[in-house]
Amino acid sequence: MESTSPEIHSGVSAKCRDDKVEELWSLTSFFGYRTQTFVQAVNLLDRFLTIMKVQPKHVPCIGVCCLHIAAKMVEEESNVSPTHELIRISQSRFTVSDLSRMEKIISEKLCVDPKVVTALTFLHLYHSAVASLLAEREEIPSIGRLEAQLKACLCRLVFSKAKPSVLALSLIAQEFEALQSATLLKIIQQFQKHLRIGDSELLHWKELVTKCMIEYHSSECNKPDNKKLVWVVSRRTAQSLQTCHFSVPGLPTIPEMSWDESESEDSCEDLTSGEDSPCGSLGSDGEGAFFPSSFHNCAEG
Amino acid sequence: MFVTDVRTQIQHRNLEEDAPVAELHDLFCKKLQQCCVLFDFLDCVADLKGKEIKRAALNELVESVATSRGVLIEPLYPEAIKMISVNIFRTLPPSENPEFDPEEDEPTLEASWPHLQLVYEFFLRFLESPDFQPSMAKRYIDQKFVLQLLELFDSEDPREREYLKTILHRVYGKLLGLRAYIRKQINNIFLRFIYETEHFNGVAELLEILGSIINGFALPLKAEHKQFLVRVLIPLHTAKSLSIFHAQLAYCVVQFMEKDATVTEYIIRGLLKYWPKTCTQKEVMFLGEIEEILDVIEPSQFIRIQEPLFKQIAACISSPHFQVAERALYFWNNEYILSLIEENCQVILPLVFTTLYRVSKEHWNQTIVSLIYNVLKTFMEMNSKLFDDLTASYKVEKQKEMKRERERADLWRGLDEYQERRMQMLTEAARNQRNLQERGERGDTLSPSSLQTAQSDQHEPKPSGAPTGAGESAT
Repeated sequence: MESTSPEIHSGVSAKCRDDKVEELWSLTSFFGYRTQTFVQAVNLLDRFLTIMKVQPKHVPCIGVCCLHIAAKMVEEESNVSPTHELIRISQSRFTVSDLSRMEKIISEKLCVDPKVVTALTFLHLYHSAVASLLAEREEIPSIGRLEAQLKACLCRLVFSKAKPSVLALSLIAQEFEALQSATLLKIIQQFQKHLRIGDSELLHWKELVTKCMIEYHSSECNKPDNKKLVWVVSRRTAQSLQTCHFSVPGLPTIPEMSWDESESEDSCEDLTSGEDSPCGSLGSDGEGAFFPSSFHNCAEG
Repeated sequence: MFVTDVRTQIQHRNLEEDAPVAELHDLFCKKLQQCCVLFDFLDCVADLKGKEIKRAALNELVESVATSRGVLIEPLYPEAIKMISVNIFRTLPPSENPEFDPEEDEPTLEASWPHLQLVYEFFLRFLESPDFQPSMAKRYIDQKFVLQLLELFDSEDPREREYLKTILHRVYGKLLGLRAYIRKQINNIFLRFIYETEHFNGVAELLEILGSIINGFALPLKAEHKQFLVRVLIPLHTAKSLSIFHAQLAYCVVQFMEKDATVTEYIIRGLLKYWPKTCTQKEVMFLGEIEEILDVIEPSQFIRIQEPLFKQIAACISSPHFQVAERALYFWNNEYILSLIEENCQVILPLVFTTLYRVSKEHWNQTIVSLIYNVLKTFMEMNSKLFDDLTASYKVEKQKEMKRERERADLWRGLDEYQERRMQMLTEAARNQRNLQERGERGDTLSPSSLQTAQSDQHEPKPSGAPTGAGESAT
């Protein structure tokens, strides 16, 4: 059965949810979890937020909890990060016992099913179907690329309103359009007919996906909001960071004057003496190479 | 050692301000001459009265030079300089502790400091007096004087070096004709320090003076100064005792950059060339200096050195020494550096990505793992597409690697099994052959009964099947 996530009720804004989902993606990447874990976590999160009225301050706990539940379902046991590590890395303020209580609540309220059908499921289905239908010559975007795009979409609340089958199809359709292959477009149409997805529905979601992808692919870097992160260093490093460096000189500046060298007779004598002066000759701005080749060969200190 | 205790008559008459001027000068001169007498402070009970008188005289001289106007007339210059020279220029005693470690050990203090300090104080006020005439002084404060002054910077007593620093600073400021010479001699001292002796106690003080000189460089920077940066300041980073003067050295380096941005590349490449390979304490210092440099770097210069720099930073992140890794990761907490990284995200992220991921799984230190998460999250927010691409290719690489490992393990297993089978075959073949031979010797025909015997023979350990070496090792 497909599980959709209609509008989110309660005091949780779209931005709050989106930020949380992005964070879940960070954690997924960091711990090396699979995309499926992430997708299921988001699924749980969205469904929970729909049926329960929650306060924004509980969203972090709910988010991390959903990720943990999903990880336990999808990943191998040895790969699942322990809860205390999860809390420490995500710099969360709640405790391990908070997390287990939340786990119980979520498990009670939601039907937690490892086999839940999500957009990712459909994406895989479509992809393998297309791959088998195509002749060898034709190239289609890799499943990894499509997964990344799905992930980008899921980071926006609006896409949780789409039916998984429609979302996955829109994504593939949008990718294939760029390739401009008649065969591929026909395949899409077949899928569409088979799943009884209306034209207007597909078009609607395709447009939204395209817009999302444009932003995703743009190489513009966003200035990260570093203030949310806590940078903890060891005591020793903190101490060495504090020892202020020599930023304020104790001695006043001595301005160099262009005529200062010619002031005295004795200044010029020594410098033109036979001994090799490391300073070089006076005022030799333009003479010779800035780095004489002998310098490049000198032994490293 | 000091001149012995020749006690001469030292006048008690004080320098009074309201004495007639000619008298004042005369008295001043006489006091100066009398202060040329040296006392032995290593013997703490000798000549206590004489020492006290000299101390009082020096004090008066100091006060006089500081307060009275019109005291410094020309005839006094040579006397003053002579008195100073006699008192301060001496062969520094060899260090009592031959293994003196400036970081750890207490320095040996100068025994005659009660007098010496006043002489230095006098010298300083003399230089700073509003009546001080450089044109007159330069006849007596000459190159020979300066050279001896510089040698004193090797004193173990930090108080002495502190005075010398301020004094040399004033000399450099006021006696323009000596500037080139002073710079040249400092050069020599540093080069000797770096390449020959690795011992000199006054590096920090000299660098402090240089800092104020560099700060005042005129633009465009003379080639001489740039050469000094590259040939002396950068190699100075290789000294073992870097921690003593690193703050001052870093200041000089940063000052150079602020004066002329084009030296940036030389500085960074120089530091990378001399990057410490075995001393982690130095690595942490280098990282601190790099951060200070990056704080003032111009974006156009940053682009020129970002690649080699971040390769080194990646190497530091993967250092098993937690302080090095922490210091490197902490760069991402610096807003300006972050903005530079963000602008050049496409180049920088690939350089550090694999390292970050790998270290997050492997490092023993949990603080490091948290910091890495922060850095990865920062990158993710900067450019999620690039991040996803790199993650994907990292995963692909990992899969390939695992596959290669499996294939290699399979290959070895296959070879082992093949080897076993072959050995079995050879053993069987050898047995069969022996059986046939023996039957041939016994004259057996191949009858069913003999076949049965032959088969049962196979299961018995044959005495003739003893290890081949046994019979031969009878030596």
